[in-house]
Amino acid sequence: MTEEENEMQTDSLEQGTRKSKVRPVIRMTEKTRSAKKLAEGCDCAIVKSENFGFYYGSQVGVKNITMDIFPCSVTAIIGPSGCGKSTFLRSINRINDLIPHTHIEGKLLVNGHNVYDKNTSLVNLRQQIGMVFQKPNPFPKSIFDNVAYGPRLQGVKNRSLLQQTVEESLRSAALWDEVKDDLKKSALALSGGQQQRLCIARALATKPNVLLMDEPCSALDPIATGKIEDLIDQLQKDYTIVIVTHNMQQAARVSERTAFFCLGELIEYDTTVKIFRNPGKKQTEDYVTGRFG
Amino acid sequence: MKTKFRTIFDRLFTGVSAFSAVLLTAILLIVLGPMIIKGSTAVFFRGTVEFRKLQRDEFNRGNNTELEKEIEPAEKTRRFVYEIIDSFKRGVDPQSLTDQVRQLNRQYGQELRSKGITGDDYRDLREAARQIRDKLEETFNSADKDLINENIGFVLELKKDERFKGTAVEEMFTIADDFGRAIEEIDLQKREKYAQSLAEVEDILFGSEQMPGLLGPKPGDKLPQTIRLRYGATRWDVAKKLLNDLLYPVQWVEIENGKPLVPQRHSRAEEFEGTRLEPLFAYIENELPEMLKPKLTFYWQYFVDKSIDSHYFGGVGPEILGTILLTITAMIFVIPLGVISAAFLVECSANNLIIKIIRMCINTLAGVPSIVFGLFGLAFFVLYFLPAFGAGPKGSILAASLTLAVLTLPLMIRASEEAIRSVPQTYKEASLALGAGSFKTFVKVTLPAALPGILTGIILSLSRVAGETAPVLFTGAVAMGTLPRSILDPTMTLSYGSYNIATGDNIGMQVPHKQFGMIVTLVLLILLLNAAAILLRSRISKKLKGMR
Repeated sequence: MTEEENEMQTDSLEQGTRKSKVRPVIRMTEKTRSAKKLAEGCDCAIVKSENFGFYYGSQVGVKNITMDIFPCSVTAIIGPSGCGKSTFLRSINRINDLIPHTHIEGKLLVNGHNVYDKNTSLVNLRQQIGMVFQKPNPFPKSIFDNVAYGPRLQGVKNRSLLQQTVEESLRSAALWDEVKDDLKKSALALSGGQQQRLCIARALATKPNVLLMDEPCSALDPIATGKIEDLIDQLQKDYTIVIVTHNMQQAARVSERTAFFCLGELIEYDTTVKIFRNPGKKQTEDYVTGRFG
Repeated sequence: MKTKFRTIFDRLFTGVSAFSAVLLTAILLIVLGPMIIKGSTAVFFRGTVEFRKLQRDEFNRGNNTELEKEIEPAEKTRRFVYEIIDSFKRGVDPQSLTDQVRQLNRQYGQELRSKGITGDDYRDLREAARQIRDKLEETFNSADKDLINENIGFVLELKKDERFKGTAVEEMFTIADDFGRAIEEIDLQKREKYAQSLAEVEDILFGSEQMPGLLGPKPGDKLPQTIRLRYGATRWDVAKKLLNDLLYPVQWVEIENGKPLVPQRHSRAEEFEGTRLEPLFAYIENELPEMLKPKLTFYWQYFVDKSIDSHYFGGVGPEILGTILLTITAMIFVIPLGVISAAFLVECSANNLIIKIIRMCINTLAGVPSIVFGLFGLAFFVLYFLPAFGAGPKGSILAASLTLAVLTLPLMIRASEEAIRSVPQTYKEASLALGAGSFKTFVKVTLPAALPGILTGIILSLSRVAGETAPVLFTGAVAMGTLPRSILDPTMTLSYGSYNIATGDNIGMQVPHKQFGMIVTLVLLILLLNAAAILLRSRISKKLKGMR
């Protein structure tokens, strides 16, 4: 893929923010794209939501969500504040369980298994589904201990195995070169962007299938954001990534499919190109073009 | 205009806060300063030769030969005091002289019998001795100078009798002779007053039932049972106080009719003007340093020595040990219980009515007076709970520390609750999202992050536990005794010790430095424990903030 192609692709999507010249976003080739299209056809969605609804007491979080999330791709969820995109994301690994007095309806399947089934092992589920939060939240421990936290929970005690996992995860999160000399250093001594990449590495260390990202760049400066976006592009080869974002340019840059949520409902879900270029619904168009009122 | 006001208010606010900070510091200094200065006299003082004797006798400390070298000249200087008092006493104390003479008379009878003298000789000699005794008794108790002189003349006439040579009767002659000479200088009308004042002087010099004297018991006297009476003034400040009492006794005088009496000091030397005792006071005043040999002493062993004669002498070693033991044992109960309860209150429970009631109870318990806990400890731990496990119904370290644990538990729970609550929710979420259970999350993430706050709770509880008196009063503290051998023995503590010194005996009045020393030791101990905890806390929070 040449620089030109790259620019052509992004040109129409990124109106105004033309930073891609400074840091070219690594994109999939058309070949892998079509391969994925094929995969979509054969209904092998890794996360499948069927009329899913989530309620805080009597208040609606989300309702009637029906969407499939496909493996090895980036799915972005956009929408105005309070539209339930984070609620939906946090329902996938059931981290919303911390909130009392909630209930759900419908089904949410991960790998064909209902997440809200009574027999679901939360531990297994959450090890399958990694999560990266809005604000970088490394534990107040050393870098090594942060990344090794997940494997240790799984019972890995072997030092060399741990070291290997930590290195792999940090490499995957493109942080290894920056921290390899000082893994004993406290994670909180890192910069914000490094901390967020560390959190990604921490999530990767449990070898999940799905990576949930809840506005991972909202607390970061543009340079750090760029690094995270590059990282997301690299990771989608191996992981299914669901990213919630407020930044529409970011959704356009990194994702392959985009879902638009509004007032707790899924308005439109399609390929990113279609959502941004030729949205099917008026509401989506208004939001994407900035006329949302 | 408005901005001007705002600046003024800002400055006012800064000024008031600075002032209150200064005020607080000043109050702290006013409270602690004198206490520390007074308390330090328990360790730093001018110790006399008596103090070194005490150290030798009770703790086997110091160089004996050097001490003997020191004692010898001191004793030599003191000898004059003993002699002058003895000779003066003969003139004013008829009762002791009478007793002496009677004793000698009985002794003489025995002497005669052992020599095998019988019959008329025996009867004659006994009769003569009895006559001497009677004459002397009459003399001692008389206030008539002529009668006294006549009687003494009569008795001394018999001295020429060869048969009395080398016998007990000869000593009677000596007494009579001394008395005759002693009486010459004394105004017989004042004899009773002299006797009274002399008894006071003797009490101050040689010790009375209640108070040790300036010089300690007279050599040759029977050693008193009470250890404190066996020694003179061990400290120079005490010695100076006693000297003042000796030279200028306090008298309560009625200045105005019907008004309360007023204490006044007058010169003792004037009281004895014209007698042979008069030079004694100037002598003692001048020679006291020679008699006591004060030396600047650093008695660091105060912190390790056991107390002697209910804290009159010695140190506070067992008390420090007991306080530390009690504190540690109590903390062993308080820390886990407090943290677990706090974790339950924060993490595991819905905010329902029962939890609200529990929380209210904890808050109420935190405000209950400590004596209530003391009585609870007595009723429950000492008399019921521990005996149920086979321990005797007596105070013990275990019972006391359990009581203290109950006392500080609310404090600990509240501090830990706050600490656990203040751990960012995102830490918990991150841990849970990685597949950790809530227990693992608590132990591995929440607890380490809450540690500084929990340590604050520990610091507060620690100070409370170490300093409380009332809860240990009935549950495990004793004023004196042996070191505890197990956790089921009672112990001495600093807090109860100082309470006891202040109330149980009048020791607090006699040795205030001991009491201040104990209090300061307690304050220092708590400061030390706190400093350690604060250091630990700052290290941990630095680590948590990523600064290390």
